[in-house]
Amino acid sequence: MRASRSFILRLCVLFLVAAPGVQAAGDQVEPVVIKDPQFGEALFHFYQEDYVPAIVRLLVAKEQNRLSEHADAADLLLGGMYLSYGHHLEAAEIFEDLLAGNVAPDIRDRTWFFLAKIWYQRGYLDKSRDALANIAGALPENLENEAAMLGAQIQIDAGNYAQAIAGLANWKGETEWARYAKFNTGVALVRSGRIEEARVLLDELGSLEPYNDETAALRDKANVALGYALLQDGQPLAAKIPLQRVRLEGPFSNKALLGVGWADAEMSSYRRALVPWMELRGRDLLDSAVQESLLAIPYAMAKLDAISQAADHYLNAIEAFHEESNRLDRTIGFIESGDFFDQFIANDPLNSSGWYWSLEALPEGPESRYLFHLLATHRFQEGLKNYRDLNYLSRNIEDWLQNVDVFENMLETRKEAYAQRLPLVEAALEQADLDRMVESKLSFDATVDNIESSFDWLSLAKKSEFDMWDEITDLERSPAVQADIPEAAEVRDKVDLLKGVLQWNLERDFKERLGQIRRDLHLSGEALVETQRSRRQIDEAMRTEPLRFQALSDRVYGLAPRLEGTRMEISNAMIRQREFLQEIAVGELQAQKDRLGVYSVQARFALAAIYDISSSSEESSK
Amino acid sequence: MTKIFITLVAAMLLAFSLVATAQEAVPMDSEAALAEARDAAAAETKSRDEFRSLDSEVQSLKKEVLDLNRDLFLLEEELLFPANSQVAFFVSMDVGEYFSLDSVNIKIDGKEVANYLYTEREADALMRGGVHRVHMANLKTGEHELIAVFVGKGPHVRDYRRGATISFDKGIGAKYVELEITDSVKKQQPEFAIKEWE
Repeated sequence: MRASRSFILRLCVLFLVAAPGVQAAGDQVEPVVIKDPQFGEALFHFYQEDYVPAIVRLLVAKEQNRLSEHADAADLLLGGMYLSYGHHLEAAEIFEDLLAGNVAPDIRDRTWFFLAKIWYQRGYLDKSRDALANIAGALPENLENEAAMLGAQIQIDAGNYAQAIAGLANWKGETEWARYAKFNTGVALVRSGRIEEARVLLDELGSLEPYNDETAALRDKANVALGYALLQDGQPLAAKIPLQRVRLEGPFSNKALLGVGWADAEMSSYRRALVPWMELRGRDLLDSAVQESLLAIPYAMAKLDAISQAADHYLNAIEAFHEESNRLDRTIGFIESGDFFDQFIANDPLNSSGWYWSLEALPEGPESRYLFHLLATHRFQEGLKNYRDLNYLSRNIEDWLQNVDVFENMLETRKEAYAQRLPLVEAALEQADLDRMVESKLSFDATVDNIESSFDWLSLAKKSEFDMWDEITDLERSPAVQADIPEAAEVRDKVDLLKGVLQWNLERDFKERLGQIRRDLHLSGEALVETQRSRRQIDEAMRTEPLRFQALSDRVYGLAPRLEGTRMEISNAMIRQREFLQEIAVGELQAQKDRLGVYSVQARFALAAIYDISSSSEESSK
Repeated sequence: MTKIFITLVAAMLLAFSLVATAQEAVPMDSEAALAEARDAAAAETKSRDEFRSLDSEVQSLKKEVLDLNRDLFLLEEELLFPANSQVAFFVSMDVGEYFSLDSVNIKIDGKEVANYLYTEREADALMRGGVHRVHMANLKTGEHELIAVFVGKGPHVRDYRRGATISFDKGIGAKYVELEITDSVKKQQPEFAIKEWE
């Protein structure tokens, strides 16, 4: 079969490196000849990213022992496809078995890296750490960087800041990865209370000249992180410098504006603080910084003795929080009703599954704006993938359930056809007396032997020759020819001549005719042997077919309960998965609502205090 | 009041990094904030454990469904194409620089049994080394004739239609036949061959 351009062991790992649909072009890989068509068939589906059909084909071929030429490669491909399909635990089992064996170290290390990455995304931090520890050699540079960053991230997640800092310390230079490492080190230092050390790193990042969106975002992020760290550390003046470096429009601008305001407020410069906060109040209320600015503005105004304006702003804030809280309630209701996930499933084309899938657009609706940042979390994304995969499994089982009747019909039709054919076959077998045929064959052999040994050339005469021989001998014996007259003597001579010519011809052809007969007899013998073999097969089939039907019946009629059981399990798992996702989403929204509640209480309390002060001053002026 | 606002926003800001999400809260400087951080960490652990438990369940269901699919596939094949009479026809393509496959038409003993149109995705999978099972049939033992007609675009993107034929002997047991498209560099043309698998 065709020579594949990619050596299969590399293939599945390269596929993991590449984004979906992207070929790992350019890799120098050895060609391999596909020797089992079923293996190529699995590849046909794999290349189309139809992982389930590809896996099933490979499992079927394994079960039928049709992968003898590609046994190891098939296992590795299966592991790779399990990973692509998001079946990471099964993939890991295969890899753990195979990677211990004779696999190229670079392939082994890459595979461990991807397992580590998948496990991290799925929250299996211990497994992820172990997988990283299994990487023995050097990975390609981009993967090496990602692996080191992943290792540090695992340490940060586990609260092991010192290890994370140590792990990231080796990063030198001005590469993007080195900058990310600096940022993560800065975060780890802040979290472990080493503000001044963090300051050096984050300040450096916050002062870099951005040359693309990514570096601009990193610069803003570092500045905001440093600004808030310094604010927390009681250094408002120092905090203003990084916060003012953040772009005015960007994902971190609201936080920066809020922070600048608080830095001024900390230094009792309330008038200055109002400048960034007033800019904030016109922005999207979904942002917690904007929400907070609605309280911060009247707070500053009150400090500036603009009591009446402060009261107005508190009232506006209370109203805005109330409206936002109502919108959050509606969104929570929508999510709790399950409609969000129903819409998600209904809109999902299911044309791919597994690890590579990611939600690119949320279902349209007022609730979507609240859920965008949820998607940034691995747990929600991975949970949604699982929910989607469960839906795929459910549809798969539904499809098979539709076919159960067809399977039953096929089986019954075959049974019926067998039952109809069986009496005809039995009757035919009864008529065909094979033993007698064998005896006849042996008898023919003996006769031919006799003819040969006695050189009985007349026995091999054709019918026309034999008739002629009879005619000549009859003529020879006739009284007229026997008569003692000259005419009769002349006829006798002619008869003798004829007889002699015929005998001469028969003797001449004897050997050839005997050979032909022997050949025919040999073919008859072979046909007889074949018939005997067929007979044995028929006997065997008649013996085993009822057993085969019984086994098939057990399998076919056992299908529906098995499928129903699995469908039930999937349905229950979908409910649990949906509840889990709802819990995350509602928890997130509830936290936003709680924050608004706290802000509302603070606003009301402040408003009450203002009214109290106002009425007290009115009374004292009276 | 200032402190509380700042810690709330700071916690939110520092709770993530560029590479991946860090779920832990920032250390806060008040008792309440510390208690909140502890609660958040406990909730995080609970949520992670719950996710893992659900994920394990999904993993085991995936395995169950794949096993079920394998068994169903085997059963379907056994019922529809018993091994004694089964013949499978595969299409493969090597390199494919001189030919872009659109469709394959198959006739067995003069009777058309398959006419398969390839999507771009499928043709691409073939070019990358995939093998397509284009047809399965039940045939009696003995001699049979197969005619395959390949339609597509040949060199210089011109319409191309070529046939290949073979007589094959169907014995007892499954039989595999491969319709192979290869490139002849020497002739700068595609070549079409049919071969039998043991």
